Amino acid sequence: MKQIFVDIDKCTGCLTCTLACAAEHSSSKDIVGAMLEKVQPRISVEAVNGKAVPLMCRHCEEPTCVDACMTGAMQKDKETGIVSNENNDQSCIGCWMCIMACPYGAIQPNEEEGIAIKCDKCNGREVPACVESCHTGALLYVDGKTFTQEKLTKTAKALTEAS
Amino acid sequence: MSDCKTCPSVDNCYSAHETVNQMQERLDDMGVDTVFTRYEKQQPQCGFGMQGVCCQLCSHGPCRITPKASKGICGASADTIVARNLVRLTTHGVAAYSHHLEELAKTIKATANGKTPYKIQDEGKLREIAKVAGLDLNKTANELAEQLADVILSDLRKDSGEPLAMLELFAPETRKKVWRELGVIPGGVHSEIRDALTKTMSNINTDPIDLLLTSLRLSIATGYTGLVATVTLQDILLGTPEVTESEADLGIIDPDTVNIVAHGHVPLVATAVLGAIESDEMIKYAKEAGANGIKVYGSMCTGQELMQRKGTTASNYSGQLGNWLSQEHHIATGAIDLVMMDMNCSIPGMKSVADKFHTKLVSVDRILRMEGVKDNVDYDPEKVEEQAKELVKMAVDTYKKRDKGKVQIPGHKSAAVAGFSVESILGALGGSLDPLLDEIKKGNIKGIAAVVGCTNNRNGHDDKGLTIMKEFIKNDVLVIAAGCMSSGAEIEGLMLPSAADQAGDGLKAVCNALGVPPVLNFGSCVDIGRIGAAVTAIAGALGVDPSQLPVVASAPEYLEQKAIADGIFAVSFGLLTHLGPVPPVTGSPLVTKVLTEDIEGLTGGKVLVEEDPVKAVEKMLAHIEKKRQGLGI
Amino acid sequence: MQYVIIGNSAAGTQAAETIRKYDSAGNIVIISDEPHAAYSRCLLPDYLAGERSEKTILFKSANFYGRNNVATMFGKKAVDIDSENQKVYLGDGHTVSYDKLLIATGSSAFVPPIKGIDESGIFNLRNLDDAVGIKEAAKKARRVVVVGGGFVGLEAAYSLYSLGLEVTVVERLSQIVPGQFDVKAAAILRNDMQAEGIRIITGDGIKEIAGPSLWNRLFNKTGKGVLLDSGERLKCELVVVATGTRANVGLTDKTGIKVNRGIEINEYMETNVPNIYAAGDVAETVDVVSGELGLSPIWPNAIVQGRMAGLNMVGQTRKYSKMIGMQNSVEFRNVPAIAIGLTRTPDDCEEMVIHRPHLNYYRKLILKDDILKGMIFVGDIRRAGVYAALIKKKVPVTKFKQQLLKESFGYSSIIS
Repeated sequence: MKQIFVDIDKCTGCLTCTLACAAEHSSSKDIVGAMLEKVQPRISVEAVNGKAVPLMCRHCEEPTCVDACMTGAMQKDKETGIVSNENNDQSCIGCWMCIMACPYGAIQPNEEEGIAIKCDKCNGREVPACVESCHTGALLYVDGKTFTQEKLTKTAKALTEAS
Repeated sequence: MSDCKTCPSVDNCYSAHETVNQMQERLDDMGVDTVFTRYEKQQPQCGFGMQGVCCQLCSHGPCRITPKASKGICGASADTIVARNLVRLTTHGVAAYSHHLEELAKTIKATANGKTPYKIQDEGKLREIAKVAGLDLNKTANELAEQLADVILSDLRKDSGEPLAMLELFAPETRKKVWRELGVIPGGVHSEIRDALTKTMSNINTDPIDLLLTSLRLSIATGYTGLVATVTLQDILLGTPEVTESEADLGIIDPDTVNIVAHGHVPLVATAVLGAIESDEMIKYAKEAGANGIKVYGSMCTGQELMQRKGTTASNYSGQLGNWLSQEHHIATGAIDLVMMDMNCSIPGMKSVADKFHTKLVSVDRILRMEGVKDNVDYDPEKVEEQAKELVKMAVDTYKKRDKGKVQIPGHKSAAVAGFSVESILGALGGSLDPLLDEIKKGNIKGIAAVVGCTNNRNGHDDKGLTIMKEFIKNDVLVIAAGCMSSGAEIEGLMLPSAADQAGDGLKAVCNALGVPPVLNFGSCVDIGRIGAAVTAIAGALGVDPSQLPVVASAPEYLEQKAIADGIFAVSFGLLTHLGPVPPVTGSPLVTKVLTEDIEGLTGGKVLVEEDPVKAVEKMLAHIEKKRQGLGI
Repeated sequence: MQYVIIGNSAAGTQAAETIRKYDSAGNIVIISDEPHAAYSRCLLPDYLAGERSEKTILFKSANFYGRNNVATMFGKKAVDIDSENQKVYLGDGHTVSYDKLLIATGSSAFVPPIKGIDESGIFNLRNLDDAVGIKEAAKKARRVVVVGGGFVGLEAAYSLYSLGLEVTVVERLSQIVPGQFDVKAAAILRNDMQAEGIRIITGDGIKEIAGPSLWNRLFNKTGKGVLLDSGERLKCELVVVATGTRANVGLTDKTGIKVNRGIEINEYMETNVPNIYAAGDVAETVDVVSGELGLSPIWPNAIVQGRMAGLNMVGQTRKYSKMIGMQNSVEFRNVPAIAIGLTRTPDDCEEMVIHRPHLNYYRKLILKDDILKGMIFVGDIRRAGVYAALIKKKVPVTKFKQQLLKESFGYSSIIS
């Protein structure tokens, strides 16, 4: 199963991925339209001492957000592995339990609509929009196995240290 | 931020100054953003822009150089884009300096014709310069002043092929030779600006080397007009600085007076306002409003100009509040009635803070407009006497709306010695630079560091600048400061003779003997021209080129385009020039290499980029040592 | 193999789903005293407000039981367990045999002994039938008194307010949400509710609830009087009592299962009686912050406990890793708030605070020896889960302590 991986050293903080994400989740499907529609990106780029660090949902194996969801809206799809609170039988009510549960801070409140929003891997898009837009190669959409061992170890280390 | 952990703001520390942190806490509590919190919200910042490889000139763009796109759509390389962007930044700096100079020259002409409240203050300097310029010294001071102003206005307006008169008159011969060989002797400033902007249109000049040389030309034009000529004319009109003492930091604000802040760079309106507040009419007006009087404080370089002239035309100036990064925090005291903003460096964020209090913001320059600011009293030399009164009245009227319950003035303030210039130093040394040169030769003073320029939150407000100054004096390097760096040093007491205690033994002894601080206040950022004059004088006295001197320049917190022009000028002038924040050139291997290495073989100067202040000083000390060895001292 | 699960909410259904994942052949039976498919109790206030229907408060898909081949015995109350013969007795006299039994009976509303509290027109809000009853009664009511200023009480208050009723909340303690938030957070939430027009009385108890006088009853009037300890009398037509819950441990009486405030279980979700497990609000587990055994009646923990019980019942032995017993997220009106772990600072702990009540903004972190023990965010709840992870994993924060209160603090601040 393909995952979005981050090669942190390559991220330059241009935020193009956040714009591409907003565009993909807008009805106009373009950046200008997404800004007019005020679409909130689902990927964020945090900064640590000025260094940019892209952050989005990792679609965990045992997602704490799914456990925390009291409406049943947040589900992990058995086939695709995508964790999403959209297009499921139940709908999100904006109780923010998932925000309280996600150790990565990858779920954002959309206060306008009163729902939580998160990465849905562009819901079936061949390559997620953020990855496609990344100019530096900091975002990768690959099978876990093809991601170099070194980088996997690095990511895994970061995950275990902090999750 | 700073690691001092000594003040109560340790959990909310943005600034090296406790008072600014206190006001920041207050603004945080009011839910008002400031430059500090907006900076945090801007993180992370785009790496393409930081490296200078973003080009937005044409509608094919924006383009940026990335691992998968090594050229812009037009084929421009990273080197071209970076060099071209750098020219545009420098051009902006030159243009802004020429605006300042032009306002000043026009004021001198109007003054010479008796149409302003100003008077020619330093006739000696006028005649000295007029002599060098070859003017007829039999003329009256007013006639000479008008002629000198015309010489300078002509320098601004002549063709790009005609060399600058000011450069011809004031640059060391050795420098002229270097610049002539490089083909970077600039012509008329406005023509240079026209050429530079034309060159940097898409697809006109795409040669990075020629573009870099264009930046040098522009910076040299800045040096001899925007800096040297401006300082000269301001001294003639407003008086050459004399050593004097003043105060700095928010603790100087008087809660019982009408308080006006002179903010910006051009001290003309501010000087007129200092005149107006002495008038019986205005004093009476203020008393009727219930105030104890009227005070004018300085902010940024306008304040620095006034402080430098506290011994001459600004005797009733009440002291310096702070610098660029703290302009919002001055207003947060709730005790500022009016901020008069001249020319550049008035940030829109000031308005958001002013809206939380009663404070009125007024533009006093025709080119400055700010969203939400309705009052504009555009400087007109022939009307400035009335304009000054109008401003004072506005301040008094605003004072009436002041909510005394919202006034919160931090306690700290510091005394500061100011008014250093070539002339006042010569005066203090008995008419000759020799005593100073002797100390340098003996090694009691290892060298001189000009710590200048802006203040920048990228590395913490004044934190890096102050560390650099302290490291320098600790290592027996005399610091001369100008611009926002001066304000920072004043507030932290480095511009007091007692600060010599923080200096190395050699410098300490010299300072104690002369009764001067180890960090000399040279004034505003324009006064970098004064530093240039001092370095020229020292080089002249030793019979060497400036690039041979144990002198370095550091702009540890440089911020905007004028500083870019200044920095490149310092490199052109032959100085090792340290920049704190990394300038947006690193995307071009060529430009980076030229500015940080190759250019030393051409001008003798180069850019040193080092964000760690202690390491930066180590590198500059090594440079000073190398130059000392070169001179055999 | 016969798996019997008593309780049809978060823990029960999660256990059933988990068991089925590993055992496709065994029988799974869910017994519930409620006649409904699994619905989310947390959504009852939304149901009350008319924002969700009986259908949209279901947290499992309609075909959940069929797909997982789970037999349901709804509307039947389990009243006793014969642990020796491994049988569950139902209220209607039937028995159900089990090989493995999960008690996930949750909790019930606690009704304080107040004079007149058992009169008609007085409701709890614990299950769907309660909500249906309140909704019906609200149609004829103009004023409501909500007894108890906890989560349920305030959510009920806000729902009834949005139906157009005049609402008064009475809380015996000096602050609202005393179990979940500290005084400062409660004050901000209270102001937010009051700004809407809901009256909140704190520090006052209910002395008596008086029904309509005989005279009024003759005219079919339902007006009541709620008499407070302070002497104030509140008139209303409807009373909602939300004064906390008690674990449903009644059916363990004759089993020898160890019960404190709830059923004590080990880290494999086992009770002290063989083949009997417990999970959810009824179970007592060890809290990661305090290290003590106690109830943790919150949704996410019930789900995880249900899953762990299922795994262990089906032979996939797995240890339950300690959870944070108290985690609450709430947004009554406009101001979101989250509290995790400790909310009141013990003497031996350090506190980091930003308190800006006029901006509806409050952040408090409680630390001991640079280990985060608890947090409260009011106004801006973004990235709260990152802090929860720090609390749960006991990550020392020394390296990034100065960044902790900043809005920019996030996961990347930890890994860098």
